[in-house]
Amino acid sequence: MKKYLAIITAAVAAITVIAFRPAQEIITVKGSDTMVILAQRWAEVYMNKNSNVTIQVTGGGSGTGVSALINGTTDICNSSRPMKQSEKDKLKQRFNTLGVEIKVARDGISLYVNQANPVKELSLQQIKDIYTGKITNWKDVGGNDAKIILYGRENNSGTYVYFKDFVLGGKDYAVTMQSMPGTASVVNAVAKDVNGIGYGGAAYGKGIRFLGVKKDASSTAYEPTLENIKAGHYAITRYLYMYTRSKPSGAVKSFIDWILSEEGQQIVAKVGYFPVR
Amino acid sequence: MKRCITLLVLIAVPFLTLHAQNESGASTDEAVGELKGQLDGLNESFLETKTTVDALKKIKVSGYIQTQFQAADTIGNSRFPVGNFSGGNFPTNVKHRFAVRRGRIKFTYDNTLTQYVLQLDATQNGVGIKDAYITVTEPWLKSVSMTGGIFDRPFGFEISYSSSMRESPERSRMFQTLFPGERELGAKLEINPQTENFAKHFNFKIGAFNGTGPTANENDRNKDIIGRFGYTFPFQEQNLAIDGGFSWYYGNVTSNSRAVYSIDKATKTFMTDSLVSDSLNSFQRQYLGMDMQIYYDIPVEWLGGLSLRGEFISGKQPGTAKSGSFYNPGTIQTVSGTSVKSSTEVTPLYQRAFRGFYITYIQNFGLKNQLVVKYDEMDPNTKVKGKDIGASTTSISGRQLTATDLKYSTIGLGWIYHWDSNVKFTAYYELISNEKVNSNTNIASLIPYKTDVKDNVFTFRAQYKF
Repeated sequence: MKKYLAIITAAVAAITVIAFRPAQEIITVKGSDTMVILAQRWAEVYMNKNSNVTIQVTGGGSGTGVSALINGTTDICNSSRPMKQSEKDKLKQRFNTLGVEIKVARDGISLYVNQANPVKELSLQQIKDIYTGKITNWKDVGGNDAKIILYGRENNSGTYVYFKDFVLGGKDYAVTMQSMPGTASVVNAVAKDVNGIGYGGAAYGKGIRFLGVKKDASSTAYEPTLENIKAGHYAITRYLYMYTRSKPSGAVKSFIDWILSEEGQQIVAKVGYFPVR
Repeated sequence: MKRCITLLVLIAVPFLTLHAQNESGASTDEAVGELKGQLDGLNESFLETKTTVDALKKIKVSGYIQTQFQAADTIGNSRFPVGNFSGGNFPTNVKHRFAVRRGRIKFTYDNTLTQYVLQLDATQNGVGIKDAYITVTEPWLKSVSMTGGIFDRPFGFEISYSSSMRESPERSRMFQTLFPGERELGAKLEINPQTENFAKHFNFKIGAFNGTGPTANENDRNKDIIGRFGYTFPFQEQNLAIDGGFSWYYGNVTSNSRAVYSIDKATKTFMTDSLVSDSLNSFQRQYLGMDMQIYYDIPVEWLGGLSLRGEFISGKQPGTAKSGSFYNPGTIQTVSGTSVKSSTEVTPLYQRAFRGFYITYIQNFGLKNQLVVKYDEMDPNTKVKGKDIGASTTSISGRQLTATDLKYSTIGLGWIYHWDSNVKFTAYYELISNEKVNSNTNIASLIPYKTDVKDNVFTFRAQYKF
């Protein structure tokens, strides 16, 4: 009898330990390729401090992240553009929620050229003309007599959408633009192509040269530095967002609160973006 | 001698090596040139492919299939309809059935500011057109667009709420009666301000339509004007959103009959107005509606958001003796002089005032589950009550009230389980209640309605959407 009692006691104790042990929390983060490195750094540091939390970070582009949020396959969507009204409507229809937008960092969209390229600055209008195919030769903007090779992002990227809306004024990209799967690919392509030009996040800017950007032909050109972005001098800046379906709670809330803390924002600066706090 | 040979070899080797190096250098240049040529070729072919792929990316194909099993309270019969607003009447002797309720495939060519849309519906009943329209948006403000073709009528909320998203298997009885098929042939102007100021909370749609339904050709001189003024107010901090709108339908139908009936308030029967001039005259089809959708995200992790959606419509509906739906006799026959066609060639028109509404409560439970509770009511003839139907002893054909004039209410209870992002299952039960007719009536067609007829329907539906 005592033997059975001991077995039952042990079984109950084991079940209790299993049932009441601190559960392993899994947070999924999906979306913007621009934000992948930043999100991975946040996840690594946060998981080191919170061993009961596992954070899975994947890219795919802002559009992919938003779709995943609407489909219920991610807890957090990283997006380098604001959610569209049509996307918010879908979220509302499926989950009866409005979605919660959290600004987690600021980014200056940088224009890259090869280090051998003599062109140092461009105005917003010149950039628009280059990317819509109106200007096709570097000599028209003060460079060599050489064809401009355009590199950009794929259309599921928030950077692609933001650049198109903000810089191109909604006009279509030139058909000659080569779409690259990530900003790192854009940088690599420009680094190898003396006549190349590309755009992307400041975090990816190693190995190539940033162009100064002028708001118009007569204004001063500024590079996407922390000071210039903070002061509002640099013309092409945007927020980087995290979206959740509902007001964050539990492990997701703790993670986002930490991202917005001093420690989380220090990582933003280390990765090469600009803190929001 | 050996010394001479060694000397010759020493002199010759540098020359031979140099020659070999020259040859090797030339072949490297050739190889680089060849590779460059190949790379240029690849680049050219990449650009060609990219142009093709970019064009193909604009083509979007989406669709869904809804397959279902339904069980009715009683077998289909000729005395009263069963399931006619639950996906179609149960044929005689049928109590359970499998069906593909909707099999949609939608092709969209989206060129940002212009769109081509073609949607087909393929079921066991055949293939039909659901949507066929083009939309053009102006390039400056991107706020004003024009649509032409077959598309949803811009009235209320439930019409444009996709069947693939809707929580109840069918639209409310009110919408199925007033807007069968939901779509219409016409042209629409839509204003959706793309601004960051207060105007972004409002939208406006107005269109002109044939007024003959989604696939019927125009048959008279009238165009129906349909519009909606909508608003959307998100209160992000409160987890709350309130959307809604006001809609109107201003249209006319043309009678092909001199027999036009309307309700006589005193006798509670239809009075005929058989003026010859009534034939080919226009009669009002006018609705006014308001709708509201409230969304609230309950701040409890496992519960999720809820929504409360309601809609109210009242107005004048020209119908027929046997149908509360809109009058559409097909081709309007010409009348020469004062002679009119015989009664078998014409369709008498019945004018009724109607009122209907529905209210739906949807509660999410986590990511996978949803509870649905819906109440809808449709009174196709507000000027009479159930006890008036069958009370008249008049034997004049056409004057008697019929089952078409009965008010119906439906309570729907459902549970939705989202298997994954493509598949969902819905179990839904509809408790359908009819107004009771006068208990003394001896009219055979009304006798079943002395009580609530057994026409409740259970639906189990699986949907795959992509």
